[in-house]
Amino acid sequence: MNFNRIAHNLNYVSSVVLFLLGLYTVAIKPNLVKKIMGLNIMETSVFLFMVSIGMVGSGNAPVVTEGVKPATMVNPIPQALILTGIVVAVSTTAVALSLCIKIHEHYGTLNASEILGTGGPF
Amino acid sequence: MRKAIVVLALVGIGVMLIYAVGEMPPMGDSGNPDKVHIAPRYLEHGEEEAGASNVITAVILNYRGYDTMGEVAVIFCALCAVVAILNREKTGLSRTSMDVSGVKASVVVRTTIRFLVPVIIFFAVYIILHGESTPGGGFQGGAIIGASIILFTLAFGLPESTRKLPLRFRIPLESFAVIAFLAAGFTGIVFGVHFLTYLMPGLSEYAAETIRHIMMMVIEIGIGFAGGIIFTSIMFAMIREDQCELQPDSP
Repeated sequence: MNFNRIAHNLNYVSSVVLFLLGLYTVAIKPNLVKKIMGLNIMETSVFLFMVSIGMVGSGNAPVVTEGVKPATMVNPIPQALILTGIVVAVSTTAVALSLCIKIHEHYGTLNASEILGTGGPF
Repeated sequence: MRKAIVVLALVGIGVMLIYAVGEMPPMGDSGNPDKVHIAPRYLEHGEEEAGASNVITAVILNYRGYDTMGEVAVIFCALCAVVAILNREKTGLSRTSMDVSGVKASVVVRTTIRFLVPVIIFFAVYIILHGESTPGGGFQGGAIIGASIILFTLAFGLPESTRKLPLRFRIPLESFAVIAFLAAGFTGIVFGVHFLTYLMPGLSEYAAETIRHIMMMVIEIGIGFAGGIIFTSIMFAMIREDQCELQPDSP
């Protein structure tokens, strides 16, 4: 394992940590709203990862201006993709939360195990 | 027991991912694989090819216009799904549990928000209109418009904000982004080029660039206002609690 590289790529490490936190929340928490929150945390970790890929050390925003060389600008493609990703994340979260509202109206609870009627940990 | 298995699996995934991070090229290096293929071309020729000095806007609206059109369709479909699940609110009648609780937002909060909301919307319009030359654009401005209306609703309550933004005003605006995008796309077909081509043939250079600029502006404005109104409508549908009208004044 290249520990110097890991210490240099701190953004990637934090995105791994965020991803694992989100996955833990989705897998363990029985509350559906918390599961959606975990999904959002996972999405955020992917956004952080992809924007970090396009980073340039002491770079500039990718806006064409006088006196800024294109080689010093950050990569615009991950940023454009992530803009798309954020909007899609908002859309899926909105649909999931409205389904949660209906589930709560019907079952009176948001606990996944109570809804399934198993009484188990999930 | 189950928790232990999940934690063990997560630790395994984490070790593998961290190992992969150790093998990745150093972050921020200008020779990284992502910066050698297509990004230099976008950065060097983005302004003359796509007509926007903000290269991200150039990528979103021009190089990857199909992608963005799909994205606009996705938020529109999300609104359709939310409305299909939860139904629309009744203008001026729908309430939330905050409205029936009897505790009003304090005068300080309400006065601050009354002064703040126009300024926030003004800032959002600036971000939408300057999306071609400064960081920003339609989606960002739309999110700010939606946030300002959410702020207003939290302080003044749902009946007041649905009276200010009634359904007959929101319904035409919600589909405006998709319509603007399709209109701009079919303009290219009318001129005899491909779908979503902004640079029309058979015109002088000045006229073609002016038309391209106007089309990109229309799409940005459409995305901005439609995005803001779609977020507002989703929020109105979600915080509505009509069953509260049946049991008001709980102690």
